[in-house]
Amino acid sequence: MATTMAKALNDGLRAAMAADDKVLILGEEVGQLGGVFRITEGLQKEFGPQRVFDTPLAESGIVGTAIGMAMRGYRPVCEIQFDGFVYPAFDQITTQLAKLTYRHEGSLQLPVVIRIPYGGHIGAVEHHQESPEAYFAHTAGLTLVSPATAHDAYWMIQDAIKNPDPVIFFEPKSRYWQKGEVDTSNPSADMNKALVVRPGTDVTLIGHGAIVSMLMQVAEIAEGEGTSVEVVDLRSISPIDWDTLVNSARSTGRAVVTQEAPGNVSVGSEIAATLAERTFYTLEAPVIRVSGFDTPFPPAQLESSYLPSVDRILDAIDRAMAY
Amino acid sequence: MALFQFPLPDVGEGLTEAEIVAWRVKPGDQISLNQVVVEIETAKSLVELPSPFEGTVEALLVNEGDTVEVGAPIITVKDDSPEPPAAAPAAPAADVEEAVHDAEATIAQDEGEQPANLVGYGAQSDDKPTRRKRYASADKAEESGAKLPIQDSVPILAKPPIRKLAKEMGVTLSEVSPSGIGGEITRDDVISHAEQVKVFKNIDTPGWPKEREEVIPVKGVRKAIASAMVKSMFEAPHVSVFVDVDATRTMEFVKRLKASPEFAGIRISPLLVMVKAMIWAVQRNPTVNSTWSDKEITVHHYVNMGVAAATPRGLIVPNVKDAHTLSLRELAVALEQLTVTAREGKTSPEEMSNGTITITNLGSFGVDTGTPILNPGEVTIVALGTIKPKPWVVEGEVQSRMVTTVAASFDHRVVDGDVASRFVADVASVMEEPALLLD
Amino acid sequence: MPLSPDALQLLQPDGTLATGDHLEPYHAVIQGLGEDQLELMYRTMVITRALDLEAGTLQRQGQMALWVPSVGQEACQVGSGMATRRQDAVFPAYREHSVARLHGVSMLQIVRMMRGLTHGGWDPKDHDNFRLYTLVIGSHTLHATGYAMGIGLDGKAGTGNVEEDEATIVYFGDGATSQGDTHEAMVYAQSYQAPIVFFLQNNHWAISTPVRVQSRTPLYQRAAGYGIPSVQIDGNDVLISYAITQQMMNQARSGAGPQFIEALTYRIGAHTTSDDPTKYRDDEELRFWQERDPIGRFRVYLGDKGFSEEFFDQVDEQARDEVSDFRSGVLALGKPDSSQIFQHVYSAANKNLDEEAAWLAEFEDSFVPEGGH
Repeated sequence: MATTMAKALNDGLRAAMAADDKVLILGEEVGQLGGVFRITEGLQKEFGPQRVFDTPLAESGIVGTAIGMAMRGYRPVCEIQFDGFVYPAFDQITTQLAKLTYRHEGSLQLPVVIRIPYGGHIGAVEHHQESPEAYFAHTAGLTLVSPATAHDAYWMIQDAIKNPDPVIFFEPKSRYWQKGEVDTSNPSADMNKALVVRPGTDVTLIGHGAIVSMLMQVAEIAEGEGTSVEVVDLRSISPIDWDTLVNSARSTGRAVVTQEAPGNVSVGSEIAATLAERTFYTLEAPVIRVSGFDTPFPPAQLESSYLPSVDRILDAIDRAMAY
Repeated sequence: MALFQFPLPDVGEGLTEAEIVAWRVKPGDQISLNQVVVEIETAKSLVELPSPFEGTVEALLVNEGDTVEVGAPIITVKDDSPEPPAAAPAAPAADVEEAVHDAEATIAQDEGEQPANLVGYGAQSDDKPTRRKRYASADKAEESGAKLPIQDSVPILAKPPIRKLAKEMGVTLSEVSPSGIGGEITRDDVISHAEQVKVFKNIDTPGWPKEREEVIPVKGVRKAIASAMVKSMFEAPHVSVFVDVDATRTMEFVKRLKASPEFAGIRISPLLVMVKAMIWAVQRNPTVNSTWSDKEITVHHYVNMGVAAATPRGLIVPNVKDAHTLSLRELAVALEQLTVTAREGKTSPEEMSNGTITITNLGSFGVDTGTPILNPGEVTIVALGTIKPKPWVVEGEVQSRMVTTVAASFDHRVVDGDVASRFVADVASVMEEPALLLD
Repeated sequence: MPLSPDALQLLQPDGTLATGDHLEPYHAVIQGLGEDQLELMYRTMVITRALDLEAGTLQRQGQMALWVPSVGQEACQVGSGMATRRQDAVFPAYREHSVARLHGVSMLQIVRMMRGLTHGGWDPKDHDNFRLYTLVIGSHTLHATGYAMGIGLDGKAGTGNVEEDEATIVYFGDGATSQGDTHEAMVYAQSYQAPIVFFLQNNHWAISTPVRVQSRTPLYQRAAGYGIPSVQIDGNDVLISYAITQQMMNQARSGAGPQFIEALTYRIGAHTTSDDPTKYRDDEELRFWQERDPIGRFRVYLGDKGFSEEFFDQVDEQARDEVSDFRSGVLALGKPDSSQIFQHVYSAANKNLDEEAAWLAEFEDSFVPEGGH
């Protein structure tokens, strides 16, 4: 059945809440309003205000109290309203959430999920279109995942909630209203695995979240021009599924890594360096990155020039093929 | 009784030194555990240091006003407690100096007796660090390179610059024989392959010609080759002998020569080593280096080393005169010259005559081994085949080693099986251990 | 600096009890204290101080990078620590060594962190939910609040059963009252009526920053601004610390929502052993507070109550014994294996991390061992 990603997430949350009554949902506007993107719509009505509740306008407080609730045995699923607003919680996420398990030397698990709508392509104002993955990918102790399709969203949110460790769940907000097939009887791959979503032989194209659908478009066009593109959906930003990436890069001999985030010191940088190290002998071309520019996210009218586009990605493929 | 030293601690998270402001005790004083013995000044503050030991002050090792590095011992205390400490005490010493020295020797080892200052030594002064000694790994190159083919199951190993070179030279990497230690294709491999390709390999498969026959007149070089081959084949009873050998050490030797300033700019290849091996083997088995006539066998006490060279017009065998007198370097130069001249088609008849023994390089064609035909007038010809990674048993374990087959054909009128075998075994043993050439 | 007129006090610096109608309820609580409880209070304060001083000495002998002294703050810690019930959760900051002792966490366990062997040191489950020390100022106030919210969600507060209902207490200092997280904690606690007592040890200094830089109003009034019932007490008075904490913990556990206690005390020592208070404090102030020492006045009180000299001597002897054991224990602490670096980063298996760990193990094995180390 074709559902929007927003509905798929809603259904996934519902399934998780029904399966385990220790699962809680908290955040700004998540209760009666159902979240500014309606991801939690109807859940308070169904599960009650003890389990689905609004928090004061204080992100550090959302994550900090969630930590306390997890210490008490709950599985809190926090919503941070927008990517650009996660920073007040940055300290609680990096000095506490990421490190408490390590600090407790095995006597504590923190099954906290932090859901963050992220990314551009929605024409929004400042702070509402960021891609802050790198800050968190750099922090040991956190797990980061991002679904690219409605089907993956449905299953990965449940995986994330079942995970015993903290998970940051990046939701590509520009995909919220895109429809896709969701098979609720057929689980998708483990959330920490990358997937080859389109096989190819000439060049490997890697990306996560919203950009994956663009990568599929790019592959179509390239095929028409005689280049066979393999598209890999990263899915797990931390830990990265190196086996899948390395096998793909080795078989094609060329890799292009794409991301909305600014390129300088990014997740893409890590992928490029590691692929170069592990597939040195079989690379026909250097690993090429296509990223946002190294500026703050610009005013919305400029976002289509700022963000990787079909043409910019094709250009990168051309450069890779020219070697 | 034991002597203990108190090293200056880092009292402020990363301090590297402190000034001794005032001693509160002097040698001979009885002090108790934690009694303040000295006041120091650090970058951050004035600090009193309590003694970690109980006993008699033996010596103050630094003076008031001195700036002391963290970790330097500042005071020696004699523990005159009646109960002997759990671990062996330091040897009693006649004078303080000796005592300090002895104490230093035992201090580090005793379990918990002399507690080492533990923490805060991250911010070190300018001590020059040195590299820690590592266990020698048996084949370091093998670890980094040779593991790759097995782990990664990759058919072609070539670094990006080599791939670029191959592309520019029109060489197909899958057709190149790799000679790198780890099984990778080297720059030389690509270049020599390109040369061979130029000389005798077809790049494209041509279509079937329209005519049913093509007639090539037999003359010139082709006629000469044919008559030589027939003469050789039907006059001399040919026997061919083969041995497989682990030539890894030859490959390493070749690699080292290539890197040596002595051999800079000179073409080095395994062929050079095999030629040297043959010369050495000839010394040990002189009859392989001779000429047959019905009446007499002339054993040559010099080696004119023939090297089979492929030219656009066919196979020729020029030889390096008195190769046995040449140094390794001279030999390398001579072989290179010989090849260049042959390719240019400028080899003189004089250069092609009076050879005493020949080597033919089948490996450059990518061929493992063969049964070469003797050069007329000679009784031995050696064939060098490909040298490539193959499974080999080393000390009971199967490993990947660079293996080659040494083949040789002999004129059985002169050379019997035992001499033939010994000669080939000698050549092979040098390929396995080039150091034998130092004999 | 004199105590503010609002500050509640039972045990005066001279060892006698204060009187007044407003103190009646607290006198009643104190009268209910058994001899064994009073003994435990005294013993805990004396021995913790002795161990604390020894830890500082060991630091000066190079056995720790850092030591965090709690000298001077024993009364509010012991009093409040004894007033919590076994089912309550205790969230310390990083200076609550007396409270730790009351929960069975030894000074040696605390020292392991200062010595670089661990970032934690104990399992809260083994210590009646005495949580780990948190070094980031104020961060843990949110965890405590979240935990208390969890108690509420579990329905374990406000049932009317004071013996079994649960509450949470969180300790923090005057510096923490400026941190955003502390304020967010109070916002959340009040919004959800969480069963939590915010216990502020105002020891008057945040390293070299005097409390007047943190606030122009008495700190307990900040909580009042959130609508949280708050009091100020003499933090060097173990009896009022006990009485007030018991009262407020019971209020919290009975469903009355968050409570706030400001205990006025003094950091007799330095912030840590890296600090030098002579650079920013004057001797007069130090002397003022030394004359108001929590242990001294309590000893007088106990003496008046009939506790014998033998008892006090026995406590001192026990302190000496424990100090000696503690010293040997510290000196015997070994070095961790480098494999510890990779443990417990995640509780689930992580392939990439396992590979890193294996690499380091192999790398370290590739070196010829150095003699004597």
